[in-house]
Amino acid sequence: MSTATATDATQVEQKRKKTSEFREVLKHVVRNRAAVAGLAIIGFFLIVAIFAPYIATHSPTQTSLVSRLQTPSAEHLLGTDELGRDLFSRMVFGSRISLNIGLISTLIGVVVGVPIGAVSGFYGGKLDIITQRFIDIMIAFPGILLAIVVVTVLGVGVQNVMIATGIASVPVYARLVRGSVLAAKEQSYVAAARAAGLGDISIIFKHILPNCLAPIIVQSTFQIATAILWAAGLGFLGLGAQAPTPEWGAILSNGRAYIRVAHHLTTYPGLAILFMVLGFNLVGDGLRDALDPKTR
Amino acid sequence: MRTTLRSGLTTVVALSLAALFLFLLGCPAETAEETVTRDTLTIAIGAEPESLDPVNMTSAPAATVGEHVIERLIYMETDGSLVPMLAESWSANADSTVWTFNIRQGVEFHDGEPLNAEAVAINLRRFVDPDVGAAYAFLLGSVQEITAVGEYELELRLAQPFAPILSHLSHSFIGIVSPAQLEGLSPSDAIEIPVGTGPYVMNAWNRGESITMSVNDNYWGNTPQIENLVFNFIPEASARIVALETGEADAIMAVPPQDADRLDANPDIDVVYETSVRTIYISFNNVREPFTDRRVRLAMNHAIDKQAIVDGLFGGNAFVADAPVTSAVFGHTAVGPYEFDPDLARELLAEAGFADGLDVTIHHPTGRYPLDATVAEAVQDMLADVGVNATLETMEWSSYLAFTAQPPESAEYEMFMLGWGTVTLDSDYGLFALLHTQQWNPNGNNRGFYSNERVDELLSAARVETDPATREEMYAEAIQLIWDDAPWIFLYNEGQINASRSDVGGLIHHPLENLSAWDAFFID
Repeated sequence: MSTATATDATQVEQKRKKTSEFREVLKHVVRNRAAVAGLAIIGFFLIVAIFAPYIATHSPTQTSLVSRLQTPSAEHLLGTDELGRDLFSRMVFGSRISLNIGLISTLIGVVVGVPIGAVSGFYGGKLDIITQRFIDIMIAFPGILLAIVVVTVLGVGVQNVMIATGIASVPVYARLVRGSVLAAKEQSYVAAARAAGLGDISIIFKHILPNCLAPIIVQSTFQIATAILWAAGLGFLGLGAQAPTPEWGAILSNGRAYIRVAHHLTTYPGLAILFMVLGFNLVGDGLRDALDPKTR
Repeated sequence: MRTTLRSGLTTVVALSLAALFLFLLGCPAETAEETVTRDTLTIAIGAEPESLDPVNMTSAPAATVGEHVIERLIYMETDGSLVPMLAESWSANADSTVWTFNIRQGVEFHDGEPLNAEAVAINLRRFVDPDVGAAYAFLLGSVQEITAVGEYELELRLAQPFAPILSHLSHSFIGIVSPAQLEGLSPSDAIEIPVGTGPYVMNAWNRGESITMSVNDNYWGNTPQIENLVFNFIPEASARIVALETGEADAIMAVPPQDADRLDANPDIDVVYETSVRTIYISFNNVREPFTDRRVRLAMNHAIDKQAIVDGLFGGNAFVADAPVTSAVFGHTAVGPYEFDPDLARELLAEAGFADGLDVTIHHPTGRYPLDATVAEAVQDMLADVGVNATLETMEWSSYLAFTAQPPESAEYEMFMLGWGTVTLDSDYGLFALLHTQQWNPNGNNRGFYSNERVDELLSAARVETDPATREEMYAEAIQLIWDDAPWIFLYNEGQINASRSDVGGLIHHPLENLSAWDAFFID
């Protein structure tokens, strides 16, 4: 009975500690004006993306050659593109694609990169050396170049862009998590867990990784921004989303030819990419400061 | 983590600068002061010649640059008439199998070598030499023997009569270079800077940038008035336009239709609209299901609103194709266009068993032809209206050409967009090369594997027939059969838009997509 009460007390204590930790972080983020602005920007794009069909005024793909290259008007809020499609509606649906790419590719990076880094850091030795040299090779390529290579192998299209940017971010996570695990595995709670008879897998996933979450979360926020930028870059090069998918980078690239006669085709997608990336970067900065006890 | 912040901020700053730059670009450009010295004419073109060695030339840009330096036996005027160039006159025997050319006397190459029949013979033999493997050797495919029978008399013996031989000899790629330059050249070697007889002498080729020339004071014809000629290569159309507006270039080729009106409003710039002999089409892979079914091919022809593309995208500076070749070409007969009728298209598709729709892939180039990718997207949307779900795929130009040159068993494509300029102005060049069964990949340019026995018969017979009226009848019948078979989606005939500074006169804007400067002058 007394044992049970003690366990309950520990759990309550842990829960309380977790909640307070979360509150603490939240408090710091909210106090950081830049981070709040970032959150507002992300929130805005999230709402636009979720309610895209209700916000868009036209079909994003319906062409109308007679009304091409129109400047912004009441009918076409941001004007029309080179095929007479409504730019506003294309931008609205484009936010879905950019957010999707940012989130899913980052998820791929986390799911693949974190275990690699954790196992490599935890076991050390030859496995670590081999894995890290492989990661070195991947890091030697600039991320966007690695993504281009992957897209070239897999073929173009939104799905492959997600995979490509995801793979390109794997080494970042592997390296980051390995470092955290190296530090964490020397901690006494790991020795305690081992003494309690826990296996390697559960030590890694139940005890070490939860303690390495902070850098992963911060990195992920930045990684989303980077992935969105990479995807726009791939779209600009014609390697990303294919016509008539309204991807921002592709819209920007197509609009380039019309820059002297219809600059709205490059201005608005450029601004949209700018703000979305800015939003995630601001939140990332705020989170990093909030999660780092030294800067609190 | 600091680095990430910094790189994040760098990104933001870079993007802001880019946005500002874009905004500034949107503002009207100020007229820059004239910086060009008056003895140099600069022409900006979109693509760099792949080579200026006659046996390796394959593109219109190569022809444009090359013809200022090297000349051929016969020149085709802008109206299509054939006039003497390095050959002063010519004649044929009764059955047109032996042609005699009198070579112009007193002409010297840029290196001082004299032009004579032997010099021409050496060049033509190299052009047809299988070891050399000239890309356009087929132009002289009917020639069996090339002999210099006198100092200035050249004889070509043909296996059988070949009606378009003279227009083939006017092709820009059959240029004559100094025999001294070819001496000791192995078959696989190429000339970099050709030494010809042309009005300009080529000085230097700065790869990726420009080709510079200076006037040939010893020219046999009228010596050009402008001392120096420069061809700049500026692939980006907007950059080409800026070069013209600032006076960095005196003339540019391939102005995008959407910029033409704006340029025309500039009093310092003249925009020139010229016809072209290029037909743009989307070919089916005619040996692959479901394109073997004529109803499917017809349906797609009826599904496309060609007029909307011509009016909407090209501002009327193109013409809906009414035959596989343009009206300027000998043998052309107007048999189309297919009426834009989405209902009929749906009906035909339903009859063919595709009432519920059809998935296809269309390959197309980007940047090779004006608005090519935009047209592909417009086609995609029009096909979607009749239930054809088209996926677009694009490739870099040289890979694209290789991809669409696969033999039927390994050809992976379903539909592909291409253009063909019938630069000899004879239907043989436009029809035989693209639609005769003998010309299936990898033997020729029939990349869509079209085959019709009667068409083959007619196209073969028209090659050897010497009576123009009979040839015209043959081509008329062949064109009607091809049209009815619908091996392509027949789209449009391109127009050309070039532009020059108003103080430049005498430029020749040729329907064969050449811009010639030998008669050019500055207006003070």
